[in-house]
Amino acid sequence: MLSFEPYGNPTYFALLGVALLPLMIGLLYGKRSRLYETLISVFFLLLTFGGPKWTQGVALIIYILYEVALTWGYAVYRRQKNSGPIFYLMVILAIIPLTIVKVTPAVDHGQASLIGFLGVSYLTFRAVQTMMETRDGTLKNYSLMTFLQFMLFFPTISSGPIDRYRRFEKDYRSVPSREKYLGMIQKGVRYIFVGFLYKFILAYYFGTMLMPKLAIMAMHSRGGFLDLSWPVLGYMYAYSADLFFDFAGYSLFAVGTSYIMGIETPMNFNQPWKSPNIKDFWNRWHITLSFWFRDFIYMRLVFWFMKHRVFKKPTTTANVTYIINMLIMGFWHGVTWYYITYGLFHGVALVVNDAWLRYKKKHRASIPHNGFTQAFAIFLTANMVCFSFLIFSGFLDKIWFTK
Amino acid sequence: MDIKETVLNILNDLTGNDVSGVMDDNLFDSGLLDSMGSVQLLLQLQSELGINVPVSEFERSEWDTPNKIISKAESLA
Amino acid sequence: MAKRLLRIFGPLILAAILVFAVLAMPVNVGFRHVSAEKEKQAAVSLSPNVLRGKHIKQEALKDGYVPFFGSSEWSRFDPMHPSVLAQKYKRNYRPFLLGARGSQSLTQYFVMQNIQGELRNKKAVFVISPQWFVKDGTRKDAFGFYYSQLQTAEWLTHFRTDAIDRYAANRLLQMPAAQSDHFIYAALQRVADGKQLTNYQRFYLQTRKNMLTQEDQFFSGIDLPSRNLSRVNQQAKQLPTHYSYSALDQLGGRLGREATGDNPFRISDKFYKQGLQKEIKMGSLKGFQKNLSYTKSPEFADFQLCLDQFSRLNTNVLFIIPPINSRWQKYTGLSETMLRQFDQKIHYQLQSQGFNNIVDLSDKGDVPYFMTDTIHLGWRGWLAVDQRVNPFLSKSQSKPHYAMNDKFYSKTWQQLAPDDLTQYEQETK
Repeated sequence: MLSFEPYGNPTYFALLGVALLPLMIGLLYGKRSRLYETLISVFFLLLTFGGPKWTQGVALIIYILYEVALTWGYAVYRRQKNSGPIFYLMVILAIIPLTIVKVTPAVDHGQASLIGFLGVSYLTFRAVQTMMETRDGTLKNYSLMTFLQFMLFFPTISSGPIDRYRRFEKDYRSVPSREKYLGMIQKGVRYIFVGFLYKFILAYYFGTMLMPKLAIMAMHSRGGFLDLSWPVLGYMYAYSADLFFDFAGYSLFAVGTSYIMGIETPMNFNQPWKSPNIKDFWNRWHITLSFWFRDFIYMRLVFWFMKHRVFKKPTTTANVTYIINMLIMGFWHGVTWYYITYGLFHGVALVVNDAWLRYKKKHRASIPHNGFTQAFAIFLTANMVCFSFLIFSGFLDKIWFTK
Repeated sequence: MDIKETVLNILNDLTGNDVSGVMDDNLFDSGLLDSMGSVQLLLQLQSELGINVPVSEFERSEWDTPNKIISKAESLA
Repeated sequence: MAKRLLRIFGPLILAAILVFAVLAMPVNVGFRHVSAEKEKQAAVSLSPNVLRGKHIKQEALKDGYVPFFGSSEWSRFDPMHPSVLAQKYKRNYRPFLLGARGSQSLTQYFVMQNIQGELRNKKAVFVISPQWFVKDGTRKDAFGFYYSQLQTAEWLTHFRTDAIDRYAANRLLQMPAAQSDHFIYAALQRVADGKQLTNYQRFYLQTRKNMLTQEDQFFSGIDLPSRNLSRVNQQAKQLPTHYSYSALDQLGGRLGREATGDNPFRISDKFYKQGLQKEIKMGSLKGFQKNLSYTKSPEFADFQLCLDQFSRLNTNVLFIIPPINSRWQKYTGLSETMLRQFDQKIHYQLQSQGFNNIVDLSDKGDVPYFMTDTIHLGWRGWLAVDQRVNPFLSKSQSKPHYAMNDKFYSKTWQQLAPDDLTQYEQETK
């Protein structure tokens, strides 16, 4: 049995091209075949989760049944009643599998959990979001089949982008006009090719060729202040570049493939390295994740805090929520000191950033604003971000705590 | 007081700027409004106009200029 | 619509056709030249990419490099390492080190497949590690790590239907790596059955070989590791300006003394402290090699492949049999008798077929500072190697006369008990 990483090698792309061709012809002639879409979804899911990785496949099936039961059950319940505790209980139940997967390595000597599979976090985000919108009453016509298609949409199953149920449904239930669809194909093909450049050339250069060398050099130059050295700095930049090109490349493949399937999956990156501040950075980096956190954690927490007047000042509310929000994001990456520190770092950065923006607003006249300050702001933000990625990489853990 | 005036007052209050001259400017792009500000806006709409907007109804692109916010508020009142 | 689609997919299709055309082209374009500096770097890089590839090796061997087949010993760079001595004293040869940790006879046989022109009527050096000849022979994962589709494809375009190549195909079929390409796997099955390839298989292999050859030319020179070359340059600085055996012998003794400290095996302290020390303290290694034997192994037949290849190409080879650190050997209980028997068996396989250039160092395991660690040559050991390698390569040698015998592929030979060697010699004469 063949088995592939999604978008991992030329054969995968060749298969993808062949599988998408009939679908493309159909869409060009105004037809969307549910049956065919389901068939190729199953085929590509088998490629990813079958063969030697069949245990992951089993975990995926059980997980999907579980989440379907929860969201469907809640949608039915919500039509009659709307109790707070039931809603919280359902959300907790929905994130239990993810929590187990994330905590297991931390308590079980790095052993991966048996119920884990590639993409479990992204599916959880989609399920929880569906539930929250059902609670708000904005999602009224929950359909089991659409939810299944939404969860198992193969181009984005392993690592996002995280679409929203209502947005997905709108695309999925309609066929774009020929003119519009041709535009989507054009974009899709371009995205996939930029993805090749990102993932197979640039990420390969930074990640496979440069990083290991810098890692060895950095390990050899330990002994100075905090075991830091110039190669550590080089590693920081190489790692950041690799992280960006690898993930942005993957995201371009996922979005490009979606477009060719007539689904406008949202973009995940929007030139993050030209952000003038950290807040703007999170509007440009891993956008669907940070917007998910914004809409379903940050805004809801702020809403709750303000409604119950937990804090006197709105700024305190904002600051506390920033920290909580980013800490949760840190924990989500995994229960290790470096992921959590990374979350905390970004929480604090957002607090400081907000304070600065307020200060700047008040003293607008006396603070210069020109090309140079703008360039400086971009430089500073990019370096702060790279530093946070050095924490995130776990390389400091290796430098400090391995023999 | 009509809805338009109330919303403008809320916005002036939240942004610390007079927005009546820039009714079609994107408040998020200009940095006058952020997630925190949006939540405050929703809460104020609730307390002053009795409009109940769930957070998931808040699609940013539909709420990003003073004019859009006013028409949204009017449609929900 | 058609026009728009053509605008979108036209460039894509064109690009695909161009890439395929360039890769499948039977003639080589551009990128032919390998700079002297790159050859120098590749010769000591021990990089698996170089071993698996073709172009760099081929170019270097044309430029006066001599293939040094072996395994992990090559990574022990000290001032007496063959690469260092050849560079420092401007010898008329330069070693091209082939092999690294885990590479054994079968890997080397396939390595030879795409440098045949450079081996024909030339000289080579071959280090035979007794450790290769364990019960199961080469490890499947190690073989897989060095496995090269390019070399296999090349071999499949020039194999002969004789016992030698049938054995090679059978052996390769036992390796999981052979399944990495279904067509190659099917072709190997035909070779193993003594059949000719089908026309389609020949066409596929030819195309695949062209593609892999182009790939190798385009990409194998990228990102060559340069660490070993700087090590060689570093080590060369410690050597006296003019070659003198006694000065080098003294230097070897001094460097050995400085590096070994007072650990129980008199080996490089750095190596000793990397894990060995801990295990010695726990006593877990005492006597652990008591039942180990190097006398019955499929490796004897794999090794015969290399010999047959040398004979087919009329390559004159100097074989080196390194010793085992005798303190280590006694501590781990490795049988002295068994080692002597291995030596006899391998000598018989070599000499009975006309391979008479043998540097047998197996009795030097107790010479001080001969071994850099438990089983690898260092300082004086390398110097002893140089005493034989230098004249062999620098001066012209008489033509070898090989008399090959397929009996060395038999299970009987692989598993022959050393006590029965004399009888076997008599019976199979």
